[in-house]
Amino acid sequence: MLKFIIKRLLWMIPSLFAVSFLAFVLIQLPPGDFVTTYIATLASSNEVVDQNTAAALRERFGLDQSMLVQYLKWIWGILSRGDFGISFEWQQPVSGLIWERMALTLVLALASLIATWAIALPIGVYSAVKKYSIGDYAFTAFTFFGLSIPSFLLALVLMYIAAVEFGADVGGLFSPEFETAPWSIAKMLDLLSRLWLPVAILAVSSTASLIRVMRANMLDELPKPYVTTARAKGLSEFRLLIKYPLRIALNPFISTIAWLLPNLISGSVVVAIVLNLPTAAPLLLQALMAQDMYLAGAFVLLICALTLIGSLISDILLALVDPRIRLE
Amino acid sequence: MRDDEIMSSGVTRRTFLAGVGGAVALSVAGGTASAAATKEAPQLAALVKDGKLPPLAERLPKNPMVVKPWEKIGTYGGTLRRGLRGSSDHNGILRMVGNQGLVRWNMDFTETLPNLAERWDVNADASQFTFYLLKGVKWSDGHPFTADDVVFAIEDVVKNKDLYSSTPAQISVAGKPVVVEKIDDYTVKFTFAAANALYLENLATPLGQHPTLFAKHYCSKYLPKYNPNLDADVKAAGSSSWPDLFRAKCGDIEIPQRWGNAEKPVLDPWMIKEAYSGGATRVLMVRNPYFWQVDTEGNQLPYVDELNFGISQDVESLMLNVISGKIDIQERHINSLANKPTLSQNMKKGDYRLLSLVPSAAQQCSLYLNMTHKDPVLRKIFADKSVRQALSMGINRQEIIDIVYFGQSEGYQTGPRPGHPWYHEKLARQFTEFATDKANAMLDKAGLDKKNANGIRLRPDGQPLFFAVDVIPTLYPDLVDVLELVKAHWAKIGVSMKVNTIERALYYTRGDDNAHDAQVWPGPGGLDPMLDPRDFFAFHPQGSRYAIPWTLWYTSNGAKGEEPPESQKKRFKLYDEARSTADVNKRGAIMKQLFDITAEEFEVMGICLAVGGFGVIRNNLRNVPEKQPDSWSWPNPGPALPQQFTFTS
Repeated sequence: MLKFIIKRLLWMIPSLFAVSFLAFVLIQLPPGDFVTTYIATLASSNEVVDQNTAAALRERFGLDQSMLVQYLKWIWGILSRGDFGISFEWQQPVSGLIWERMALTLVLALASLIATWAIALPIGVYSAVKKYSIGDYAFTAFTFFGLSIPSFLLALVLMYIAAVEFGADVGGLFSPEFETAPWSIAKMLDLLSRLWLPVAILAVSSTASLIRVMRANMLDELPKPYVTTARAKGLSEFRLLIKYPLRIALNPFISTIAWLLPNLISGSVVVAIVLNLPTAAPLLLQALMAQDMYLAGAFVLLICALTLIGSLISDILLALVDPRIRLE
Repeated sequence: MRDDEIMSSGVTRRTFLAGVGGAVALSVAGGTASAAATKEAPQLAALVKDGKLPPLAERLPKNPMVVKPWEKIGTYGGTLRRGLRGSSDHNGILRMVGNQGLVRWNMDFTETLPNLAERWDVNADASQFTFYLLKGVKWSDGHPFTADDVVFAIEDVVKNKDLYSSTPAQISVAGKPVVVEKIDDYTVKFTFAAANALYLENLATPLGQHPTLFAKHYCSKYLPKYNPNLDADVKAAGSSSWPDLFRAKCGDIEIPQRWGNAEKPVLDPWMIKEAYSGGATRVLMVRNPYFWQVDTEGNQLPYVDELNFGISQDVESLMLNVISGKIDIQERHINSLANKPTLSQNMKKGDYRLLSLVPSAAQQCSLYLNMTHKDPVLRKIFADKSVRQALSMGINRQEIIDIVYFGQSEGYQTGPRPGHPWYHEKLARQFTEFATDKANAMLDKAGLDKKNANGIRLRPDGQPLFFAVDVIPTLYPDLVDVLELVKAHWAKIGVSMKVNTIERALYYTRGDDNAHDAQVWPGPGGLDPMLDPRDFFAFHPQGSRYAIPWTLWYTSNGAKGEEPPESQKKRFKLYDEARSTADVNKRGAIMKQLFDITAEEFEVMGICLAVGGFGVIRNNLRNVPEKQPDSWSWPNPGPALPQQFTFTS
């Protein structure tokens, strides 16, 4: 086991290099650079940059150097002093910008994950056990609605109703008076009173697929002989379900941990933008659109590091949960 | 829309302005508003009572600048809410707050008025400007604002090669930067290497804010000249170099960091409390206790306590906030034609009224055929004036106006808008009639008389006449609709065109590389013909898209680009002459000669007169002019003086 983990950890190093280089190239591939995009953005409000400024900006940001030189400078900064570079647009250190948003991102991601699992697991089991019952059909219908409504549309519709019909203050995770207040009980309650909307929207779309997966897994397991054996030995129906088929049916869930971690950052981009949530996702999109290279590059690097770590964790967990799986 | 409206209502505006100007002059001469009698916001009065702030009389200049409110004397209080986009929207704050230059615009966008400079002298050839600063103005930290600050801003900051590797175009004439000298504590002299008659107008635009942007007592700490320990400070602050630290602390005209440092002293009506930074979800600004303007009854401005700029990632959520009445004044980001019906429908629900914006642009959609195309055949075709004339007459402008602009415009080429004193009939209206037969005949005569099986004309080399017109759909969705109609019109005269919808950075790159066949963009110069003449001759390297290489030749004095024809060179000369003529009437006569040549050459083709934008104002927000110019040079709503906006209960 230890050998396996060390081997995997060592493999991460070249993968991260490869991915970071690829990410850097991809971000630079579109025509123009940060300065062109910056000028174009200002032009959209009929605003003009001083003619002499554009060239000076390119020089200052090192955009006049070749891509390889820019990449090496960036990666050397990370390796030698943990410096992820400066965001062109904000002139703030990239790491600060990302960390600033991480706490709320984590809260939102965990809350919607728990909500999703709390809804999806019981319903999935129920649908499998009571196959083709009215309840199963009702849940199935609900899940397909959830699956087919784009979450951003749901968000917009809910926001419209809340804002126009009820005059509620929508968007953001805090009321104006708490926005920059220090953490307190009142601020926590304010956060909770607003968190449910994004959590519900995110959960609706992701429960659907999980319910279907759970139902299918359970249906695979339920007719198997070991279930019949257990039942014959007089185990109560509930204990039986929990003890045997559910554990095996959970395997696919554990595999999904691999992409749960990167989803912390890149998941729910559209919903976060529509609902105006101060999470990492909108910042990532902004950085990509503005060709703010170091900020975008740091994000991509972080996402792929999390993917690698996530898949390692899920492999280890799988081995622990299911003794049939061997790591060698 | 015609401009008669704003011009006819201009009478009242002029009276208003005369009032303002008169009041300023009066206060300077005799002191009508004595500082002792002035009043202040309750929370400032409370601070004074607690001894945390000097009394008002000590904070205001002896003779503060008097502003006549637009409608009535206001009351103190309230938070004004406005929306920003998440990225690159610092100018949204600038337009509201940062308009405190030496001079400012009048409401009509026709002349400059005293601001931080209470008066000025200009020498005969317009190369020397002497500004007399308003005495006793203080920065937001209470430190006096004097001639030293202006000299510091230009001589030590803007002319510092490490901060500005090239001097901003505005203060560089004939390749040499301006020289600023202190005459006495309240008098500064700007000397240019040659005539710069437009300097006062330029000074009133956002790019002219440098002289009053940097407080010497604060910003000198971040210059090596004044701070021998700067290297240590740079390290301590974690900055990579001193210019980076300087920009982070003191900002610049249009960078986000201008609004990122709450401790920086400013001369604006409001100052930053919660900064505009990468992670911000809102920007909060609070009143400047030392603001140096009062209303006609001597009440210190601004009336409104705070500005709250909410940051939306998405325009749709901004729209929701507007229609549910959570925004007090907004035109930025929401004033697309597509939004207008929704905003009109919800006026009652959101409790707001509409604000109409008079475009400063001339043309809604200027069509630039690349006359310096890399393909010699297309270059020859586009360079043929009769081809351009024929293409122009092949467009059914009325149909475009009816379908895309709901009938709200009229066929137009380019030039100052109707109602502007320099309006030029031929430049504006020639070849706007829809005449397919005439167009066909002209194209036949131009040597494009052979057609292929699909009815498309053949170029002299036998290829079908085809070209792509670049347009940015995310920026100007209406121009895509316009081009689709033009495409159908041109198909009827045997010209095949592709509407090339591209991303905006690519649009710029193609222009910079001279790789485009043709591009469209709204054409400026309607109210500001001197400030942005890009459609009148090859002036702007990122704007005069019919001949980018010629613009490079002009801006580099012949070192780069491609030598333009005589008629262009003649216009370069006329423009430079107009630029150095202080007398407005003489300047107009020179520009008329320039317009005559432009009309004759007919390089840029237009569709229709630029259509007015709009905005929303909450009904309880008063003193807001409901018709304003819409321009970057007149950075609306700033010149309408938001410091005198006020809430009614």
